[in-house]
Amino acid sequence: MKPCAAFVCFLWLASVSPALAHHSAAAEFDFNAKIDLSGVVTKVEWTNPHAHFYLDVKDSSGKVMNWNLELASPNVLIRNGWKRNSLKPGDMVTVTGIRAKDNPAFGSASVITFPDGHKLTFLAAGDSER
Amino acid sequence: MIRRTAALLLSGTVSAILGVVAQQAVAQVQIGDKGKTGTIGLYRNQRLPSDGPAPKLADGTPDLSGVWLGSGSDSADIADPKSLKPGSEVDMLPWAQKVVKGRLSKQDPEANCLPAGIPRGSPYPWRILQTPTHYFILYEGNIHSFRQIFMDGRAHPTDPDPTWYGHSVGHWEGNTLVVDTVGFNDKFWFDYKGHPHTEQLHTIERYTRTDLGHMSIEVTIDDPGTYTKPFTTVGRATLMPGAELLEYICQENNQDLPLLEGPARGPGGR
Repeated sequence: MKPCAAFVCFLWLASVSPALAHHSAAAEFDFNAKIDLSGVVTKVEWTNPHAHFYLDVKDSSGKVMNWNLELASPNVLIRNGWKRNSLKPGDMVTVTGIRAKDNPAFGSASVITFPDGHKLTFLAAGDSER
Repeated sequence: MIRRTAALLLSGTVSAILGVVAQQAVAQVQIGDKGKTGTIGLYRNQRLPSDGPAPKLADGTPDLSGVWLGSGSDSADIADPKSLKPGSEVDMLPWAQKVVKGRLSKQDPEANCLPAGIPRGSPYPWRILQTPTHYFILYEGNIHSFRQIFMDGRAHPTDPDPTWYGHSVGHWEGNTLVVDTVGFNDKFWFDYKGHPHTEQLHTIERYTRTDLGHMSIEVTIDDPGTYTKPFTTVGRATLMPGAELLEYICQENNQDLPLLEGPARGPGGR
């Protein structure tokens, strides 16, 4: 791999390695099972070892699936600009990430995009994908 | 604003990078009117340490106090030669090789919100407190616990009750804090791969604040019940100026455990 700008690498890492924390991400998530979801946030858990949010996603037949999406821990998020209400129930968002191996409605959120274009990531607040 | 990029060593694999990140100090440096800011580990826009010599307390003792990020070994794989002192190698007895092969990620004590032990690190910072008789290491993560190091000259007990962090006594050799620990239980894993140990484990940690913002950490691991010979890991930590520890209660909402599949391995799969 060609060395990239360190900050870009950091962000890329954030997008591909959802859990530099207390367990092996490789054991939990399929790095190749990309998800791209749009829906309404139904709940936010500002908890350790990971924050979670839940997203109602409607498929083409109108059936709604409630996804459980994982973020870093609140201490990591806070140091990277997140606030506990950066994401709230009722928010309409688009989420990219990867899916768990053993649960079809559980994922690790890489990037959360709001209708106005602003973004949050697994680790950080701000338009950090650029 | 002057912007420069510090060296972030990248090899060709995700796993290699993952191994680096927990100990990675500074990935980007920005220098502005308010001093240097940049990324320390997982944390963006942090105040970076100024240049300068390692400070000392009024009585001349090296001052290690502060909030630090880093550890003394590769937490993904303690046997990775990149984090071993030259000449060191991790050579397991046959029973230990068999144990490592059979371990599962979901069995990792750390994934179960139990202590990471010594010298395994985490992505979360820690603080050293120095008093005349005791030094303390306060861990934000893994598992929001603490270690105490007796500095009053006492010896280890002859028959210590085995514990996760053992019984630690410390002394200074020049500018290096030497921490000698025995009395471990056999429960924690040295890394995500599951390198084991027995209650015979004896660790010698050497902490040297090399300048204002950096600390080198070497850890000699001697466990004749598990390894054919002692080995020494090398790591480092970076000061997070102005940072405070935050709360991290891992047991609060650990939803991951039932979803962990397969053999014990690092975050990126190695």
